[in-house]
Amino acid sequence: MSSDRRAQSSDVLRPKNVGAPIKRTEDPRLLTGNGEYTADRKPDRPLHLAFLRSGQPHARIARINAEAARLAPGVMAVLTAEDIADDFKPVIPFSRIPNYYATPIMPLASKKVRYVGEPVVAVVATSRYLAEDALELIEVGYDPLGAIARAEMAVADDAPLLHEEAGSNILIAREFKKGDVAADLKAAAVRVSGRFEMTRKAPLAMEPRSYTAEYESRRDAVTLYTSSNIPGIVRDAISESLSLPGHRLRVVAPDVGGSFGSKGSLYPEELFICIAARKLRRSIKWTADRLEDVSSSSQAFAEIVDAEMGFDANGVATSLQADVLGDVGAFSIYPWTCGLEPVQVVSFLPGPYKIGSYRGAVRGVATCKPPTGPYRGVGRPISTFVAERLMDLGAKALGIDPLEIRRRNLVRPDEFPYRIASGIIWDKTGFIECLNAAAETAGYEQLRKEQAEARKQGRLFGIGIASYAELTGIGSRIAVAPGMPINTGSETAKITIDSTGAITAAFGVASHGQGLETTLAQIVADDLGTRFEDVRVIQGDSDEVPMSTGTYASRSAVLGGGAAKHASKILQEKIKRVASHLLEANADDIEVAEGKAIVLGTDRAVSFRQIAKAVYSDMKTLPVEAREELTATYTYDPINGTTAAATHIAAVEIDPATCFVKILKFVVAEDCGRIINPMIVDGQVHGGVAQGIGAALFEELIYDDDGQLLSASLVDYVIPSAPEVPLMDVIHVESESAVAGGFRGMGEGGTIGAPAAIANAIADALSPLDIDVSILPMTPERIFKLMEQAKLNQEEKADE
Amino acid sequence: MKPAKFDYVLPATLDAAIEALVASNGEGKVLAGGQSLLPLLNFRMARPAVLVDLNGIKGLSYIEERGDRIAIGALTRHRDLEHSPLVASRLPVMSAAMRHVAHLAIRNRGTIGGSLSHADPAAELPMLSAFYDARISVQGPAGRRTIAAEEFFVDALTNCLEPSEIVVEIEFPVLDHDGWAFEEVARRFGDFALASIAVSVRRAQSGLKDARIAVMGVADTPLRLREAEQELVAMELNDRTPDRFSEIVVSKVSPNDDLHASAAYRRHLLAQLSRRALKTALAATERAP
Ligand SMILES: Cc1cc2nc3c(=O)[nH]c(=O)nc-3n(C[C@H](O)[C@H](O)[C@H](O)COP(=O)(O)OP(=O)(O)OC[C@H]3O[C@@H](n4cnc5c(N)ncnc54)[C@H](O)[C@@H]3O)c2cc1C
Repeated sequence: MSSDRRAQSSDVLRPKNVGAPIKRTEDPRLLTGNGEYTADRKPDRPLHLAFLRSGQPHARIARINAEAARLAPGVMAVLTAEDIADDFKPVIPFSRIPNYYATPIMPLASKKVRYVGEPVVAVVATSRYLAEDALELIEVGYDPLGAIARAEMAVADDAPLLHEEAGSNILIAREFKKGDVAADLKAAAVRVSGRFEMTRKAPLAMEPRSYTAEYESRRDAVTLYTSSNIPGIVRDAISESLSLPGHRLRVVAPDVGGSFGSKGSLYPEELFICIAARKLRRSIKWTADRLEDVSSSSQAFAEIVDAEMGFDANGVATSLQADVLGDVGAFSIYPWTCGLEPVQVVSFLPGPYKIGSYRGAVRGVATCKPPTGPYRGVGRPISTFVAERLMDLGAKALGIDPLEIRRRNLVRPDEFPYRIASGIIWDKTGFIECLNAAAETAGYEQLRKEQAEARKQGRLFGIGIASYAELTGIGSRIAVAPGMPINTGSETAKITIDSTGAITAAFGVASHGQGLETTLAQIVADDLGTRFEDVRVIQGDSDEVPMSTGTYASRSAVLGGGAAKHASKILQEKIKRVASHLLEANADDIEVAEGKAIVLGTDRAVSFRQIAKAVYSDMKTLPVEAREELTATYTYDPINGTTAAATHIAAVEIDPATCFVKILKFVVAEDCGRIINPMIVDGQVHGGVAQGIGAALFEELIYDDDGQLLSASLVDYVIPSAPEVPLMDVIHVESESAVAGGFRGMGEGGTIGAPAAIANAIADALSPLDIDVSILPMTPERIFKLMEQAKLNQEEKADE
Repeated sequence: MKPAKFDYVLPATLDAAIEALVASNGEGKVLAGGQSLLPLLNFRMARPAVLVDLNGIKGLSYIEERGDRIAIGALTRHRDLEHSPLVASRLPVMSAAMRHVAHLAIRNRGTIGGSLSHADPAAELPMLSAFYDARISVQGPAGRRTIAAEEFFVDALTNCLEPSEIVVEIEFPVLDHDGWAFEEVARRFGDFALASIAVSVRRAQSGLKDARIAVMGVADTPLRLREAEQELVAMELNDRTPDRFSEIVVSKVSPNDDLHASAAYRRHLLAQLSRRALKTALAATERAP
């Protein structure tokens, strides 16, 4: 169930499509098995790849014997780092920020391996089966160098160095400071603190990573089909690495089955497949199996945060400090760097609150695990978890209701734009409005009464609130990742009406489940003045626009949508000018709607088809100078970007018999600005919350002290399934943003609020037992141990 | 994640299947529903030279009443057991347990012969066969023999079959009881059990005259708790009985720590389930005529 409070439209005269719950254009083909994913490509006689991956966490490669594999049936090539050394330049995830060491991206491990699962040798064969058979014939001799399995081990004095050239296992260190935190904490009426942790998580897209490199020998060109959500970035990086100009390297992200960030970096296998295709002059395919996907795609979280918050006697948070230790894995990722996740934790920690002084320090340290990378919400799931736990601890210490303490600390409507202590500026957003709407929909007062009743019966019933804010649709003035040299601040739309009158809108964004084909068509239809079903959206193809990056960081509705609006307007002006000739009317008197240009107040009209004919085919109707090509390209840059915010409220009950958490109620009130398609917004929230439930209760990549992944299959890596995801209420507080269209980004939000809200609800449920929640996921095992410990503590107290 | 090379045969008779296994010199493996075997093949943890597919053999899938026994063919699918009225009326504990076996798609393919042979310590059918004192008929080159359920399971994922033997039928004696219960906790519905218990009792004038107890998920094989059965029968029935019973049950097991649960947590779960199960079973006897 969802209820809307939709604002009146301001800049679109009569929006018909924007705001309407239009069914996704993508769905019929995807739901009937007619999608075309990368693995569905059928190039001419493709070869297949399989990787021999390191079974060692950290070792020198002493020797590789691949002779037997080279002679195995069907094998076309066996390649090691040495064999391809002259075929590429390493890709460097450069950043301008100090105290950062950029580990190069290499297609295959060279000299050393640094995590279990790192690709070492590649076999190219006529089938995947034969390639995997040949893998078994390869012998790699390793000299072990000592595993660094945990962040704490990496910073120990006697730790081996994972990257000797870096001189340290600390790959990135940074500190944010504002005001005199020490003094403010000292002066605080109440100080609360804790050591908080979110363990490693797998993004786990339904479609594993997949690449098909199609080789065109007549001009030594490669078309890389990739499951990437950043095809533009991949194109530019591989072009540079292989010295292959863009017109000989096309990168296409066709239908993509989810990413959640795991397909949002350049991967060694992606680089390798292009190198191999050129070397062998053949098309090559590779799709990760689930084991490879879980153990080599970029992972999430893996951070420990020591944090402290000070409050004055009225419950106003005055000061906050935090030290973040991020276990970033073995390598930096391209282009985002290993700073992406941990640095954003300290950037966003003050959240939507007016905290006066702040110190946030972060260290990202190298360990023998796959790299962490972007994951839906980047940094904010854990910064929200920490800040919201501290808010609740403060409320408890001061005897203030958790809802009330947030009211006292959130940035209020008249205070925007507001610069928080870490330096981020929030533009006008409905922070308080979301809090109030969520509380109202959840029936907060009533819930508290139910809780009192439940507690009388000895039941463990808890309510948790989490408010957060995030930056979305970021423009060129702000880097998506700190110090990163590439431009993520703009996107291009190119809209064309061809000689048949058909409309094609091409974008550089790359939907991988967000439904952009639908939402961008809605925008174009309204702003160009045509029917929704007549707009074809093309995206994720580097040949369609000169430069693009892709879809990530909740940017595509804002940047792609903004570009769509501007390009549509430009094209509409052209249509009006041509129509003015054809209709013998003033261009200003012409209105464009439903695919027709109409003279206002009359029934005189020409269709896009007639206009196209006049421009392109019929050489008699128009003077030469009026034959304007019916195409418009616009690159939109929102410069700063815009804020999005939400409040999540969860009510849970814990069964003391099983220690399972049951979510009784889940409410999200969110502000994503003007809604393009409420059905899609709800779907994004539902999916995001489901992932947040995974982070809160289920999902954990468990590595042992030798760096071996123990939860490497979906039997052992437990994700929420349909019964574990409750029905939820989603409320939209639609306050328009200042960017084109009034949109805000909202693809990530669900995942940001849910873990914190559930953690607070669990802590609230367990508070009669004096139990705190400081690590996620709160598995039944962890709850069991906490409850056992609480029993012991109580017995001890009784003994005293 | 592709299997190593293997040959595949689809024999039409049991004899032909056994012949194929014998011919493989111990390198053959039987394929039933494939739900456990195929992942092992794909991970290359099992690498048989020959797969002998039983699905071409007619007459291996049935549920039949034979006097006070229910005979079930080895190729009977989980889904058929779940929905069988005969199983529901004559083996109600099994009937209640079947919906906990994996997920629908897996129940459509998975077979009882495969589940027993796979011998997962947290799988329902192995536990139920111990609970019911089932007799497992197997056929091999030396002919047919019958094995008691408790002897069939040797260790985690290990049964007592000789290399070329095939499970063909399982006979479940119908159990006389006035009350019973099946309790299970799994992380998500359809997951393998973290702990589970089946209990049935027969009421005497005062107290109980007979009890059955089986547990799983807390040892390397499913366990029949025969000592606990006797202790339960010897017990006086009062308000404290379920607590006492739960202590007894837990005292008989020594689970290991693993990725999914610690030993302490499994013991805690088993204690909770035992208490609940006995209460349910006893309550049913009160209602029994
Ligand atoms: C995701 C998932 C969840 C599951 N959850 C559960 C659960 O909660 N509870 C549960 O009980 N099970 C569960 N299972 C297992 C499922 O029930 C399997 O179907 C069952 O264990 C094996 O049956 P099968 O017919 O598929 O056997 P197969 O996979 O075909 O064979 C399994 C093994 O038994 C051997 N075998 C098969 N038939 C015979 C025979 N007649 N004689 C001799 N050897 C034979 C095979 O050679 C092989 O070694 C789950 C499986 C999956 C994939």
